[in-house]
Amino acid sequence: MNVLDITDLSIDFPTSKGVVHAVSHFSLSIPHGRRVGFIGESGSGKTTTALAAMRMLASPGFVAGGDIKLNGVGGTDILSLNEEEMRRVRLRKISYIPQGAMNSLNPVMRIENQIWDGIIAHEGHVEPSELQRRSREVLAGVGLEPHVGQLYPHELSGGMKQRVCIAIGVCLQPDLIIADEPTSALDVITQRHVMQTLREVQDKIGAGLILIGHDMGLMAQSVDDLAVMKLGELVEFGTVKQIIEDPQHPYTKELISSVPLVGGESFLDSTGSPPIQEDAGDVPLLEFQNVSRVYGSVTALHPMSFKLDGKVPKIISIVGQSGSGKSTMGGLMLGFNAPSTGQVLFKGQDINALSGDAALTFRKEVQAVFQDPYACFNPFYRVDHALKFPFKRFGLARDEAHVEQAMEEACVAVGLDPSLVLRRYPHQLSGGQRQRLIVARALMLSPKLLIADEPVSMVDASLRATILKNIHDLKDKHGISILYITHDLATAYHVSDYVMVLYHGHVVEAGPPKEVIGNPQHAYTRLLIDSIPWPDLARDWGSAEDAKRDLQKLGEIADRPETVFRGDVSGFALQTA
Amino acid sequence: MADQTVTQSEEVTAKQIRRMKRFDNPWRNPKLIWGAGILLGIVAIGILGRIFWDPDLVFTGSGMTRQAPVGFENLRGQAGTWAHPLGTDGAGRDVLALLIIGAPNSLFVGVLASLIGMSIGIFLGFSAGFIRGRTDDVIRVLSDVMITIPPLLILVVFQAAYGDINLTMMAILIAAFVWQSPTRLIRAQVLSMRESGYVQMARLSGASTMHIMFREMLPNLVPYLFGSFIANVTTSIVTAVGLEVLGLGPQRIPTLGRTIYEAINSGALIQNLWWWWGIPTILLALMFIGLLLINLGLDEVSNPRLRKL
Repeated sequence: MNVLDITDLSIDFPTSKGVVHAVSHFSLSIPHGRRVGFIGESGSGKTTTALAAMRMLASPGFVAGGDIKLNGVGGTDILSLNEEEMRRVRLRKISYIPQGAMNSLNPVMRIENQIWDGIIAHEGHVEPSELQRRSREVLAGVGLEPHVGQLYPHELSGGMKQRVCIAIGVCLQPDLIIADEPTSALDVITQRHVMQTLREVQDKIGAGLILIGHDMGLMAQSVDDLAVMKLGELVEFGTVKQIIEDPQHPYTKELISSVPLVGGESFLDSTGSPPIQEDAGDVPLLEFQNVSRVYGSVTALHPMSFKLDGKVPKIISIVGQSGSGKSTMGGLMLGFNAPSTGQVLFKGQDINALSGDAALTFRKEVQAVFQDPYACFNPFYRVDHALKFPFKRFGLARDEAHVEQAMEEACVAVGLDPSLVLRRYPHQLSGGQRQRLIVARALMLSPKLLIADEPVSMVDASLRATILKNIHDLKDKHGISILYITHDLATAYHVSDYVMVLYHGHVVEAGPPKEVIGNPQHAYTRLLIDSIPWPDLARDWGSAEDAKRDLQKLGEIADRPETVFRGDVSGFALQTA
Repeated sequence: MADQTVTQSEEVTAKQIRRMKRFDNPWRNPKLIWGAGILLGIVAIGILGRIFWDPDLVFTGSGMTRQAPVGFENLRGQAGTWAHPLGTDGAGRDVLALLIIGAPNSLFVGVLASLIGMSIGIFLGFSAGFIRGRTDDVIRVLSDVMITIPPLLILVVFQAAYGDINLTMMAILIAAFVWQSPTRLIRAQVLSMRESGYVQMARLSGASTMHIMFREMLPNLVPYLFGSFIANVTTSIVTAVGLEVLGLGPQRIPTLGRTIYEAINSGALIQNLWWWWGIPTILLALMFIGLLLINLGLDEVSNPRLRKL
């Protein structure tokens, strides 16, 4: 029996430039106890469809046609319910698990009060002891201790908060759970635990589940059926097995192929060897001498030393979870923050003791690509400003025509059409276009070293490979050494010449990617790789119990970090103190 | 043309289209337009009045004393005449001329005080937010302490000591009390902005501190600065009028506050000479409503979440 039947649903958003059809002629049924994934890029209408089922569309959007029948209320069209009837349906029949758990919980209420709120809103007066019993039960259901109910949201970790949101969502045993990218703010290890928890509670209460997401791997590990959406239309629907093994629509094929696999075929076509920098001399390009960084009582980076020889350009990957100290390393290399101990040397000079011309030269030779392509452009200026200004500032420009020519060449080199991107305001460009412009900017300045801090984590999946290829070209064609900071082991595997795995500020494993990621030795690296959701049904994720056991194991590792060296690469030498 | 076809087929009303256009271009905000209209009207009274009306009528004895406006009678039963359309005060000064000279003066004090206050605020706010450390501590403590001091109290003492002062001096004195809130506002914005991607990009581009502050950050602060400026104009005018109604401030220059002070002082309230104090009060109220509307409009410009579709 179906929980929800969506027939011929269309949703329109009127704007001053005409009506935007966010969803058009969408039909789908969610059977009881079945997990259905909605996958698509941002703007494909997946969240809008789910919100329409809750009748929670953001103004001015409205349902232009079709109906949504919910069998829990006798198969009536929920679009015909009045506000009060709809209120009764929400949470009791359909519950919604939001994307950012950190913003969804009330910061001034205890967890159990927030669970009770939902119960009281639907059942009226309930005895306190009964409330107590039920909140403990749902918390236990998502693997949280009873005392968690007494805590405030700020006392919980991101993963725990997300599990509290699941607990609230299932406390009235709804017929349908809608989970909107419930793990997008979590790291892979926590993501695995949360998803397993969600699957298990859903199984137990037998509800239907709509999981919204953009990660094919996560879908493969979590759902039964998959609905692929593009520009508001359902382009393909079928079981996960069918879609992954035999995708029909070209867009689905693109989505699947955009997920890089460890050990799989490379998405880069490495041709030729990178140009050798003859003028480098004997001084290493970048050197960390016993560098550490302490913030208050937290040590973000434990003392480490390495030498990067710039003669043969290399891509060095630094991988780890959030909070592992990888972005701190990036900041230290750029001179944005000073090390607590030790020195960061660039071409033999301490970068924190540079002044005047030397500082300007250092800036020219060390450039960066940051995570957030939306924040990197000043909204006040056209995008040209970000490219032109440094070019002139570093004295590379001969005249205005030269600047124009250099900008256009750089755009072409990263695969952008200059006439479509230049002279526009940042908000007129997509995230992918902006991130490629930042790469083009780095290319124009032809630095010696590029720090790429999570350059593709905020870009739609289908564009990631292209941007990584652009960055890889910087090494191959332009001889730029690159430090690639990422949490994504699969891309690090393909892109890099050397990988360092960071955990709580310690390097736990380092060596060539084929060794470190292809055949991990350290428990943490292995855990990271096991937690990646592969778009491969044969590689199962295990149960919530497994995930919990792994998290406990992680806690044990934290006390005795040791580095596993997995071999050397010429031109890069690492020592940890 | 394209819009119209959409209108018909999708049944979007013209009203909705208008509201959406307003959403896309926040400067076409009715509050902003009305507020600016009112203020420009007051400025226009000042300019046109000097051309079409005789400003010398502000002097004592320009006409009969206590004349009613046109269409009304005073206590002596004399009907108002077109020689003094808004009547005259207890010293025979023409009320219309007082408004023509006084209203722009009051506005001038407010704008000048606010401009000076904003300049101080921008300088201190940027210094505190950008340099941080000890400088930030000093500036923050100073502005926090200043916020707790009631300005009127200090100003009364100051003015009593100075005696007669001119409008500029008055504006400078008031400016000493309106720099704190822009300082705090700009400091907070600068603190969050200095971590933003484009500021980091500018640092990577070898930009100087001055370039980052004034070319990268300041343009993005413009809506906030406008809002803060208007709020400060309101505060400054309130303070100035407050002082004037107490009989302080410029003694020889007509302002709206001074006119009200003289009316109260000569017993205009009990003698039912309502035009003497009432008309300047209405003009002040209009001024404040205009400023408030502009401020609300600017709020919606700088904070898109307040905008409704």
